[in-house]
Amino acid sequence: MTHHLTMLETLTSLAVAAGEGHAGGAGAMREAPQWVLAIALLPFAAFLLNGVCAALKVRNQFPAWLTIGTLATSFGLTLYLFLNYFTGADRAPMHVHGFEWIHFQWGATEAQTFISNFAFYIDGLTCLWILFVTGLATLIALYSSEYMNHDVGLGYCRFFAAFSLFVFSMLVLVMADNLLLMFLGWEGVGLCSYLLIGYFYKKPAAVAAAKKAFIINRIGDLGLLMAIFSAYGIFGTVEYSKIFAMVAANADGAGNLLSVNTWAGIVLPLLLTAGAFGKSAQLFFYVWLPDAMEGPTPVSALIHAATMVTAGVFLIARLYPVYTIDPALTILTLVAWCGAITAFWAATIEMAIFDIKRVMGYSTISQLGFMFAGLGLLSPTGAAFHTFTHAFFKATLFLGVGAVMHGFGGQLDLRRLSGVAWMRGFGLVGIAMLIGSINLSGVPFTAGFFSKDMILAQGFTTPSTMIGGAQIVAWILLITAGMTAYYTFRTFFRVYTGPKEFNPGDDAELLDLGRHPKGTNLEQWHKEHGHGHGHGHGHDHSHDHGHAHDHGAGSVADRRLQTRIDFDPTTEEFDPHPPGWAMKAAILACMLCSILAAGLYFMKTAGPGAEHGGWVGSMIHPSSAHFASPEFGKTATHMGQPHEPAAFFGQDAHKLMYYVSAGVGLIGILIAAFLHGPKGWQGLFIGNRVIAEKSRADGLINLFGPITKVARNKWYVDEIYDAIIVKPLHVLSHIFHLIDQYIVDGIVNLCGAIPRWIGKALRPTQSGEIHGYAIGMAGGVAVLLVLVFVLTS
Amino acid sequence: MIERLSFLWPEIALFATTCLVMVVGLSKHLGTRKLAVWIAGAGLLVALFLSAASTPHLTQAACPFSGTVFSEPVTAKSGQLLLPEMVPFAKCLIAIVGIMMLPLLSGTVDRLEEEAIAKGARTYDALRMNRAEFWAFFLFSLTGLMLCAGADDLIWLFLALELTSLPTYIMVAISTSRNQSREAGVKYFFLGAMGAAVFLFGFALLYGGTGTTNFNEMAAHFHERGINAIALVGIMMSILGLGFKIAAVPMHFYTPDVYQGGASQVSAFLAFVPKTAGFLGLLLICSTFGWNYEPGAVVAADNAGLASVSGAITQSPWGTHLPEPVRLMLWVIAALTMTVGNVLAILQSSVKRTLAYSSIAHSGYMLVGLIAGPGDGSFTQNGVSAVLFYLLAYGVMNVGAFAAIAALERRKGSEEPREIDSFDDIRGLCATHPVAGWSLVICSLSLLGLPPLLGFFGKLPLFTSAINAGEIVLVVVLGINSAIAAFYYLRLAFLPLTETADASVERPVFTPYRGRRVAGLVSAGGVVALAIFAGDLMQQASKAGTVTKPAAVTEQLVRDPATPVTPLADAGAR
Repeated sequence: MTHHLTMLETLTSLAVAAGEGHAGGAGAMREAPQWVLAIALLPFAAFLLNGVCAALKVRNQFPAWLTIGTLATSFGLTLYLFLNYFTGADRAPMHVHGFEWIHFQWGATEAQTFISNFAFYIDGLTCLWILFVTGLATLIALYSSEYMNHDVGLGYCRFFAAFSLFVFSMLVLVMADNLLLMFLGWEGVGLCSYLLIGYFYKKPAAVAAAKKAFIINRIGDLGLLMAIFSAYGIFGTVEYSKIFAMVAANADGAGNLLSVNTWAGIVLPLLLTAGAFGKSAQLFFYVWLPDAMEGPTPVSALIHAATMVTAGVFLIARLYPVYTIDPALTILTLVAWCGAITAFWAATIEMAIFDIKRVMGYSTISQLGFMFAGLGLLSPTGAAFHTFTHAFFKATLFLGVGAVMHGFGGQLDLRRLSGVAWMRGFGLVGIAMLIGSINLSGVPFTAGFFSKDMILAQGFTTPSTMIGGAQIVAWILLITAGMTAYYTFRTFFRVYTGPKEFNPGDDAELLDLGRHPKGTNLEQWHKEHGHGHGHGHGHDHSHDHGHAHDHGAGSVADRRLQTRIDFDPTTEEFDPHPPGWAMKAAILACMLCSILAAGLYFMKTAGPGAEHGGWVGSMIHPSSAHFASPEFGKTATHMGQPHEPAAFFGQDAHKLMYYVSAGVGLIGILIAAFLHGPKGWQGLFIGNRVIAEKSRADGLINLFGPITKVARNKWYVDEIYDAIIVKPLHVLSHIFHLIDQYIVDGIVNLCGAIPRWIGKALRPTQSGEIHGYAIGMAGGVAVLLVLVFVLTS
Repeated sequence: MIERLSFLWPEIALFATTCLVMVVGLSKHLGTRKLAVWIAGAGLLVALFLSAASTPHLTQAACPFSGTVFSEPVTAKSGQLLLPEMVPFAKCLIAIVGIMMLPLLSGTVDRLEEEAIAKGARTYDALRMNRAEFWAFFLFSLTGLMLCAGADDLIWLFLALELTSLPTYIMVAISTSRNQSREAGVKYFFLGAMGAAVFLFGFALLYGGTGTTNFNEMAAHFHERGINAIALVGIMMSILGLGFKIAAVPMHFYTPDVYQGGASQVSAFLAFVPKTAGFLGLLLICSTFGWNYEPGAVVAADNAGLASVSGAITQSPWGTHLPEPVRLMLWVIAALTMTVGNVLAILQSSVKRTLAYSSIAHSGYMLVGLIAGPGDGSFTQNGVSAVLFYLLAYGVMNVGAFAAIAALERRKGSEEPREIDSFDDIRGLCATHPVAGWSLVICSLSLLGLPPLLGFFGKLPLFTSAINAGEIVLVVVLGINSAIAAFYYLRLAFLPLTETADASVERPVFTPYRGRRVAGLVSAGGVVALAIFAGDLMQQASKAGTVTKPAAVTEQLVRDPATPVTPLADAGAR
């Protein structure tokens, strides 16, 4: 079967889906057993129990094991659900009712009700998401049990409570059967993200980052909230199944034609997109995610790489039918373009900055851009597949970076680390980073290669009549894929290969200078305290250079290299601290998952859609992400008769793209090797780096001059936002403050004074004299009687 | 007769307990004397159980507005109540608040005497002790209150009201050993007698105007012939007189003086018990002419035949309001009551006086629900159930507010300790006395109506029912008054919470009666906990707020649409 045919089938299957309304048909729903609720409720129980632990002042690792156990149970249940209900031919969505959550009724008719139940709607899309959410959450909880060791006690409980609450919220987000419950989860993950970014709450940078993430997410959430209002206004319900049924019938809640409704076709998906972009850190909203790296690294791995930030992708995939209401697919085009531009934009920044954790952060933004582009280019399967593979390999990369931070006192500057993979205890980390890097770069036969390829190939075959400029989008993505390979291996070559060399991060130095208790052996101290407070630091350079806003790694203090591994270990010098078994086990598991995920592409299953995208295709095809409105079906069949997909240099795009993207990826890696690779085989024999700090790329910096500087400073987007949004708002708030102080307060004080005056006037009536009261009562009776008779007769 | 008795079991139980308490409280042994309060508690629990178990007087089926109109013939001709479902609800709420007040009232009387006996300075002398009387009066008053709820006759209502009030006069007078209390008691008694005279006069006129004292027959009379001038004056005098019980303008003057003169815990009792009695009485009086008053509708309907009536009733041919003069008067009283209560409260420097004025204002709020009437019966539209629910909410949160000041005192030498009273005393209370401080904070916020506390859920249906009844201006007045109330309630909430106590002033200490603190805690906990279960409570209240048509009217429509029955003939037949 050629991929040419596959493409045709994709489009026609969308159209057929629309005709049957299969995902929306309420009759097609399966009833899920009640224990499915436990998948989400177990992490909530863990959250409560962690709260109890905090109250009981538990001072051991119990909270971690509690969380790991609960999450593992949750994952087990998810696996059981998947094996029993999503491996056969019947992939109809499942429904399970928990309890009645909100039920307003203000009249007899059905339109005068608002129902939002605590109920789950589980289709292939949901199942895919909960599989990797619960699975990764379990592994990362295991990793955290060791990583957060330095904070055993109240902080440990706090961490795992927020962690469990996050998993609960994320599961509610993806499993909800209506928009409002989804929003509960949506806000829940936002809250937990805030709590965990600001975990080191004594660190100003972390607190600022937490606030930034929260506030920018609020802007997106405003869009989502308005989208929910709009959806209720248009459809008269917030339940997915009913909305899908109405989209399938092309009729809104009042029975009017849906495809001509601009509000439903344009505004509603636009608002949804605003919400999705906020949560998933896309164009205009992405600035919070790099700063979110202030949180502990396991948090970055789980929340800010694998799960929460994909909520936006999920949202669009879940409400894909709504995006296809508009026959012109305006908003999907917008999503495709924004995704591609974000991917490219973030990649330029990554190539310039030196902070390896932030490289991963921007890389997440860039990869999320790929996913959104996939959604926009009518490849929801590709987007879902990329989300799935990305979750594992990006988690691997983050956990690897976390191990480095853990070991080197929060050191994250790639110019101050080298040859980490060769150091004692870091071998596995090196391998894991390599696996993660080849996935991210799209080296052939890796999971990342196949999933990225699906999106790229779709981009070249989607006709421009449907998605305007689809080919340009695809070209941008292709170039970005090359850049991705370059920056990924830039980090890999610099940090993990080459001569062994390291400098401890600020955390370690802080300990040595200030907090190192007198009279204790440093090594002993490290053993007890797990190498420093706040492994999420690594970034607090502000005391070095005084730029409060500049978190970039480009501004590392200009300090001489002091420490070498071959220094005498008996002196009080920093000693790297290799990861323990828990961290290693989690890294190993993530690494294996990201290798095995490649096999999913070839897996044939009983469900429909497996011929396109393998296992993931069979999960996504029967779900809402692969369901389109009837209008879309018409467009799909009418356009470009006969079905001649756009060719890529005269060849079948799908077939050719395997080679093109592989080639682009390898070129990127070779450039990285040439510029950053160490001398010898480690640098593929083309690199010449001999120390950590300098490489061939330094010459390039002079060549590009100001561009590098600007990119390194993240295109000054933070500063621009500050100038055009924050500063004017500040001025405005000062003006309002003055108005409030002198005008509003004046009026309010006047209003406040009136009751006082009345009271003062009435006060003499309360003389305390009994005959006065009696006269008052009798007089009052008389006056009232007369008054009423005069007024009514 | 015996089936009449069957509805009185809670009252009978309370009365038996009263007799027992009166004897036990006089015992020579301290332990036995102390038993009195436990017996009272047990009696109240039994009464609560009996109230909850008692069935309403009328099945839903006979209610013309319940949907199953006329499907079943009415079984009892008389002896049926116009607010049948209200009785068990009201009795339960009385028993619950009564139980909450027991610990609050502990140690109110005999403190110095008991101390002297304990020291051996004096021997036991039954004549000097007040414990037995105090608890007996407490129970008597609650018995009267329960009787009010079940009244179906003017005379019954009057006796029940007086049984409620008379013990309270004495409770105020003996609540402290200071002259202030005696003065308050006497003042309360004289003014109360005057108020009683007003409504008694009103009752007499009502009888004169309708020829009956039975509410049911009175209702039939009003629906057939309208309200004549004599009856109208009677209604107005009754409402004004009952205004004394609820401390409504112009009968409100006594409130601050009496509340301040009595001990705080007794003031808490006064803020709830007579107010409840008054509102139950008002509801009963108003139910005789109803909130859908339209005289002659029955006669007109008779002429049109039954079929058209049953159709027409669903379209509410009865009108939509109280009789205009009554509505107007209640409107004026409600608006004045809340405004006067609130504006005077903001000027006070004494916590007790503030709470006293605020108690006046709360009566004003509840009158709004009375004016709104039952609407279509759903909770958001039913003003009657809003009043009943608010009584419960007010009873619960009011206890906590008073308990905070009742639990603290200053003592000099062998004098009777003085409870704290000024705003300065409650400054920083949350830090120094967390239990008292927090119960004051939570209850004040609830009294203010801050969501998600119980007070909010109490106030909400008052607003919605009044909006539904079209009383927009009154709703605006209610809203403005709620805002004014924020002024002093926030002061009550934030002085203990945010400010620090003046170090130069001697700090008050807890009274030795732990029960008062417990009462505050229970009240504050109830304010939070009941808010969670507000949905269920609202459903109960909504059921309790069902208003039926008078038996004579329904019966006549069901049985014999052709021959109208005159009320006098009906009365004679009975």
